[in-house]
Amino acid sequence: MTDKTVFKRFAIGIIAIWLVLFALVPNLMVIIASFMTQGESEFIVWTPSISSYQRMLDPLYLQVFWNSFYLSAFTTVLCLLIGYPFAYLIARAGPKARPILLLLVIVPFWTSSLVRTYAMIIILNANGLLNSTLLGLGLINEPLQILYTDTAVIAGLVYTLLPFMVLPLYAAIEKLDWRLVEAARDLGARKVRTFVSVIIPLTMPGIVAGSMLVFLPGLGMFYIADFLGGSKTTLIGNLIQRQFLSARDWPFGSAASVTLTVTMGVMIWIYLLSAKRANAKVEV
Amino acid sequence: MKKLLIAVALAGVLGSANAAEEKVLNLYNWTEYMPKEVLKAFTKETGIKVKESNYASTEEMYAKLKAGGGGYDLVVPSTYFVQRMAREGLLEPLDHTKLPNLKNVDPKFLDQPFDPGNQHSVPYLLSSVGITVDSAKVDPKTITSWLDLWKPEYKGNVLLMDVARETFAVVQKALGYSANDTDPAHIEAAFNKMKELLPSVKLFNAESPKVSFIQGEVSVGITWNGEAFMGQQEKKSLTFVYPKEGVILAMDTMAIPKGAKHPDNAHKFLNFVMRPEIAAKISESLGYGTLNAEAIKLLPKELASNRIVYPTADDLKNAELLEDIPTETQGLYEKYWSELKTAK
Repeated sequence: MTDKTVFKRFAIGIIAIWLVLFALVPNLMVIIASFMTQGESEFIVWTPSISSYQRMLDPLYLQVFWNSFYLSAFTTVLCLLIGYPFAYLIARAGPKARPILLLLVIVPFWTSSLVRTYAMIIILNANGLLNSTLLGLGLINEPLQILYTDTAVIAGLVYTLLPFMVLPLYAAIEKLDWRLVEAARDLGARKVRTFVSVIIPLTMPGIVAGSMLVFLPGLGMFYIADFLGGSKTTLIGNLIQRQFLSARDWPFGSAASVTLTVTMGVMIWIYLLSAKRANAKVEV
Repeated sequence: MKKLLIAVALAGVLGSANAAEEKVLNLYNWTEYMPKEVLKAFTKETGIKVKESNYASTEEMYAKLKAGGGGYDLVVPSTYFVQRMAREGLLEPLDHTKLPNLKNVDPKFLDQPFDPGNQHSVPYLLSSVGITVDSAKVDPKTITSWLDLWKPEYKGNVLLMDVARETFAVVQKALGYSANDTDPAHIEAAFNKMKELLPSVKLFNAESPKVSFIQGEVSVGITWNGEAFMGQQEKKSLTFVYPKEGVILAMDTMAIPKGAKHPDNAHKFLNFVMRPEIAAKISESLGYGTLNAEAIKLLPKELASNRIVYPTADDLKNAELLEDIPTETQGLYEKYWSELKTAK
């Protein structure tokens, strides 16, 4: 056995133990808990049952899932619309400007997103920076009510998740083969046609990857909706949290969590399939 | 003789264990429920460093302790959870020989049915849930009943706390039921009444409701009395109304969770906060009523006569103390709470 294989086994061994202890075992516990029942003074009673999953079919909880998916999908579309031109500009920027622009995308990660969300409250509130500036400039006569509305929630989500869209898009646009774009032009395609038929398909892996990186975390970011939206909507995250912290119903909280994980898993699987197909197409 | 030796040896071991107790106290407390200066004074006197973590609902604290997490040495449960926690073995018995200052506490709050003989808890503060009003925007005289919050002119200006239990207790009282009513039909009626209020609600917040009043986001809201008092220090126009149907009372206690690593420090801290001058300082700083009879004598006159902190007997007419409710009822509250915030 060479030093190299010893190192390899050691490295893989540590990761394997880590994953088993902190990913596999907790997830198994959640899955097991989701098939148990709730008790008066015990969080879990060891009586197997699928009642928690049956309760998930209650229109109320389906609505909660729908609200979360809708909010996250809306955020993803906005991030794509804002992020694509931005990533395009970075990729086309000169070699000096590019690293600076990329750095600016990453800078927000240096602060906790919780702190940045609090900062948004200070900017958006009735007597906040935004309103006092607009009032001072005479553009509005009374403060805009932005904080604790859906607008504030969407703004917060887009702001937090935009870098996750921009970075994969940048990577995809940056390695685009511009000779294909020139060929399309030479063959008489107009700018819009070139963009739709050549650039978008070629950068599709970046679009899909960016959308997944925004959509999936977006499903779980209930604290942004709580802080900026005034806790007026129940999202999946709120639902799960409240089962554990307030309702004393661990089996149901676990079932909601398992349902969310499975849904996300299916979406990642679809993504992998489509990424494979997109790559195959590009190679042709 | 042999027994005596063992006892001596044991005492020696225990004694050395006590002496070796690390100079740390992990306090798990409601948000903004212990003045920083009191913690500092305690550390200065004893050398024990206090690490504080916070929660915004007793349910949350209970869930964490029950799950075996935290490593806390001292918690601040409301009375209606003391009974449940003691019954489920989540609390250490208190050693009264280490708590001589218990004599300062008003006897009418001691030896209550939820904790006979104060085996597991000592009284801390009395809080009430009423209506905070910004008198710059709303004349407090026009608000006398919980139902006044439903008036259309407050649309988009109402704050509710993000806690199902207290809010249901309020609406049940507004409808003429008991705050501790567990009849599903009455709870459903309260839920339907809440749905009518929803268009008026600007936000739900229990961590620090006063902030939204100070920022001018809301003009009326259901909050704890201390929030109105603390808010008033920063914004003079804030005041507090005791609705005629009766406010919701909660008495908070301090207790040591099972398996606490620093029980000795916890006892020292308990005894410290029951000193009259410290208890008075806490009430003065937080705006909640102290249950310490000796401390009341030390309060500045303007605080002792401040109705937000020390309501008159008339203010507390029809007031009701929260009691423990079955898990089933809590689950029902939570389901309605999710539903309230889901329907568009």
